[in-house]
Order: sequence, then structure tokens, then C-alpha cells
Amino acid sequence: MSPWDVEAVRAEFPILERTVHGKPVVYLDSTASAQKPRVVIETLRKVYTDYYANVHRGIYTFAELSTEAYEGAREKVARFIHAPEAAEVVFTRNATEALNLVAYTWGEANIGAGDRIVVTEMEHHSNLVPWQQLAQRKGAELAFVPVTEGGELDLDALRSLLADGKAKVVAFTLMSNVLGTITPAAEIVRLAHEAGATTVLDGAQAVPHLPVDVQALDADFLAFSGHKMGSPGVGVLWGRRALLEAMPPFLYGGDMILHVEKYHSEWNEIPHKFEAGTPPIAETIALGAAVDFLTGLGMEAVHQHEQELVAYAMKRLLEVEGLHILGPSAEKRGGVVAFWMDAAHPHDIAALLDEEGVCVRAGHHCAEPLHARYGVPATARASFYVYNRPQDIDALVAALQRVNALLRR
Amino acid sequence: MPSDLYREELLDHYRDPQNYGVLPEADIDVRLNNATCGDTIHLTARLDDEGRIAKVMFEGQGCVVSMASASMLTEEVVGKRREEVLAMGLPDIETMLGGIRLSMGRVKCATLALRALQQGLKETEEA
Ligand SMILES: Cc1ncc(COP(=O)(O)O)c(C=O)c1O
Repeated sequence: MSPWDVEAVRAEFPILERTVHGKPVVYLDSTASAQKPRVVIETLRKVYTDYYANVHRGIYTFAELSTEAYEGAREKVARFIHAPEAAEVVFTRNATEALNLVAYTWGEANIGAGDRIVVTEMEHHSNLVPWQQLAQRKGAELAFVPVTEGGELDLDALRSLLADGKAKVVAFTLMSNVLGTITPAAEIVRLAHEAGATTVLDGAQAVPHLPVDVQALDADFLAFSGHKMGSPGVGVLWGRRALLEAMPPFLYGGDMILHVEKYHSEWNEIPHKFEAGTPPIAETIALGAAVDFLTGLGMEAVHQHEQELVAYAMKRLLEVEGLHILGPSAEKRGGVVAFWMDAAHPHDIAALLDEEGVCVRAGHHCAEPLHARYGVPATARASFYVYNRPQDIDALVAALQRVNALLRR
Repeated sequence: MPSDLYREELLDHYRDPQNYGVLPEADIDVRLNNATCGDTIHLTARLDDEGRIAKVMFEGQGCVVSMASASMLTEEVVGKRREEVLAMGLPDIETMLGGIRLSMGRVKCATLALRALQQGLKETEEA
């Protein structure tokens, strides 16, 4: 493998040339949303200046070019996650909508009173609240796989939750957006399937950062968001054909129908059955460009790069007095580090870092139950992507030392 | 260059807050928190015979903005009538903090102590 040329990667991200408060920007919040490479920005421009029209409708040249590019993006996404066929890729607004789609359609049809819905304590609210609400609607039980002190899933507890055969679905993240933990997905899917449960994988953090192969994982559903992988805001739901075909539609209207009469309608084939109305056309085509960009870098290399950064970050961060890191050791995580400091509230950390041009997130990062589990109301979080480099971590640590100097009582 | 939010005056209130603690035999005793950022405050206050604020104390945990704002408020409101305190809002807090403009994300932090005091005043009114 060729060594990672981070400067060459950075050159593809025009926003990184910006300064904030007179300082070069150090962007450490890609977990919330990633910056966009030139090729994505250029693709958007090209769609609008070369051939934009609505998809799946016209028979004139622009409409055909638009449709071809839009469906081409679906094929790129399918290859990226190793889906058996592009028709299993459904475009949504974001990962949240993809997860809601599963809970509202598959969930409505398959979960009943007394069934168990299994999630984990490390879920983002978007892979928790839809299931919590489904459980309430159906009188089903919602059960949590606990997170250990070290930030890993307790698989023995999962085995017990699966033992009586009541569990109908196991919904879990491939990677925590707070702890950075990469979960043992293939094993969780195997355990779930042995117990007859369907699996819903939240890939919002994993798909942009690690190689993900839905067939190797033997997954049933996978949800993720384009905006976290350099694309504009588009989401993806992948599901097995048989499951998608058996599910009722989510939203009704144009495009998702085959045939409409006054008092009766028939549904279009998958994936169109789940894509009601005009989609974000240029954005989806640009997602295809983002996928090409990441494929060009190689997802194994992306992961390797981030592992090196996170290992360096964890070592350097512990030099900061009174700083505590949540989650497992570096080799078990992706490029995310959430921490808290004795001397400063996360809001102050983020605000003071901003003055140095360093962008980090402060709060509960849409994972309140996880923060409650650790007894900390909020954390600051630094996260890394293809364009980050060790100097960014040095800038982070220097800024944190300044926070200590200013706020330590 | 520290920004307005981290001026020495506010940092002094943060590092060494005024009226920190719990007031015994208080007329007002309120606990509030900011769910989103985890700031907490326990505010106690005593009123004089004419219903004016006689003394305010607070305990809590939070960012510089919420803690400095609470500390400054305990001095700012002494001698004020109930209606005066109930009429206070964000602009008054911004003035109190030295004429800064608070960003949207900081408004809840900055007004936590005021909201606690106002809630307490309303509770004594109802009682
Ligand atoms: C693990 C995880 N799941 C789901 C989501 C939701 O993604 P979106 O807001 O794009 O729907 C996020 C985003 O922060 C996430 O980190």
C-alpha cells in the first residue's frame, strides 16, 4: 500500500484553505458532517449547468441524462457497500429517515405486542427513538445491550436477550459516534439470526470511514448518510430484496406508484416504491462522486489513516491535565475521541477552541442515554477524516492547554 | 486574543463566584437544569418585608457563561422589586455581562440563573 499523502488529499478540499478568527481552520467535526471534496462540488455545478432535469419522467435528452446519472449513483453506492444489486439501494433524506423508514414499514408490519426490540446503549437517538416509539405503539418491549465501562458492547447480555426467542429485531450501530467503538457486527448479526431476529445496522459512522460489506456481514438492513462522507445531504437505506418487497411503502405519491385508479393504487418496484416524489437529484448524483472519491482513496487505507490519527490523538490528549477520555483503546475505535475536562465545561472548551480555529463539537452528540450511562452530562468531541493530519491534533492539544491555563481554578 | 465571553471580569466571577452556596431559611429555593448541555443550578433567595430581593445565593455546575451570569445576577438583583425581576430578559443579562451579544447556543446558559429566580418568585406568589 502506498503511504497516505494527506497533503494531496487536503488539496482536494477547498474549505480547508479558509481561516477562522485569523487562524487556519482545523476541522475536527467530521463525525457530525464531513467537508466536501472538489469533485463533489464540481459535480453539483456540472449537473446544473450541463443537463439538469427531473428523473424518471421525461423522454428528452436532459431527462435521460439526469436519470442515467441518478441511477448511476445508485449503482456506485451498491458497489461501495457490496450490495448484490442496485435495486436494493433506496435513497432517503439521511440516515435518520432511512431508520424511520424501517421502523415505520417493516416495524409496523412485523412487530407485535410482547415482541422484543433490541437496541444498544450506545445508539445515536436516530437509531433509538424510532424503535422506542414503535415499542410504545405496539406494546412491544424495548431492551438495551449494555455498554461496558470500557465502551464495548456486552455480548453475553445480548445472548440472554436473544435466548427466549422473543427478540424480533436487533438494531445497532457499526460504530459509535461518541466512543468511536467499532462493534463486532458480523458476530452480532450471526447471534441475531440464530435467534430468528432481523438486523438493522446503523452505518452512519462506519460507511464513511471503514470498508463495509453487507453480504460479508450477512446484514438485513443498513442505513447511512451521504453528508458524513463528503456528499451533499442524501441518505441511503439498503435492504435485502425479499424484505423490501414484502414491506408496505413509507410515503405515498408520485414515482412510487405503478398504476393509480380513483380508489386503488399499485406500487412501483423496489427501490422506487420507497422514493415518493422528486428526490434531491443533483445531490444524489454528487453522492456518487463522493463514493468514487473514497473508492479512489481505498476504504482500508482511510481506516488505517484514521487509526493512526486516533492513536496519536489519545496519546497526546492524555498529556492535558485533568482530561478524561470516554471509550475503548485506540485499536478498537475509529477516528472519534470524546472527552471531558475537570477545569472546563464542554461548551467552554468548544468556544475557546473556536478562537484558535479548532472546530470540535460539545454536548451529548445525540446520545443522551450513553452519556447518562457514564454519568457525564456532556463531552467535547474531536473526530478525524481523510484530510486530518497529526498537526491538527497538535493544534487541538495546544488549544486545550490554553483552556486549562485560562479556566483552571 | 480572548473574546468578550472570556474577558477577565467574567472569568473572575467563574473562578471565584459571588454568593456561592445555599442560603438558610430561604423564601425561594429552586433547582433548574439545561437538559442539552447539562448545566445545573440550585438558587436560594430571601425577600425583605416589602417583597424586595434581600439576598440571593447559588450553587451549580456549568460553563463560564452560566456560572458567571449566576454570580453577577446575585449582585445585580439585590434591592429590586419582584415585578422588576420578572420583567428582566435576555437584553438585561447581555448588559449585565458587559454589553456582549450572546450567540444562540449560549442564551440558555446565560439566562439559567434568571429563569430560576423568576420561577422562584412566581412560586412564592402562588403560595
Ligand atoms: C451513529 C449515527 N447514527 C445516525 C446518525 C444520524 O445521521 P443523520 O443526522 O444524517 O440522519 C448519526 C449522525 O450524527 C450518527 O452518528
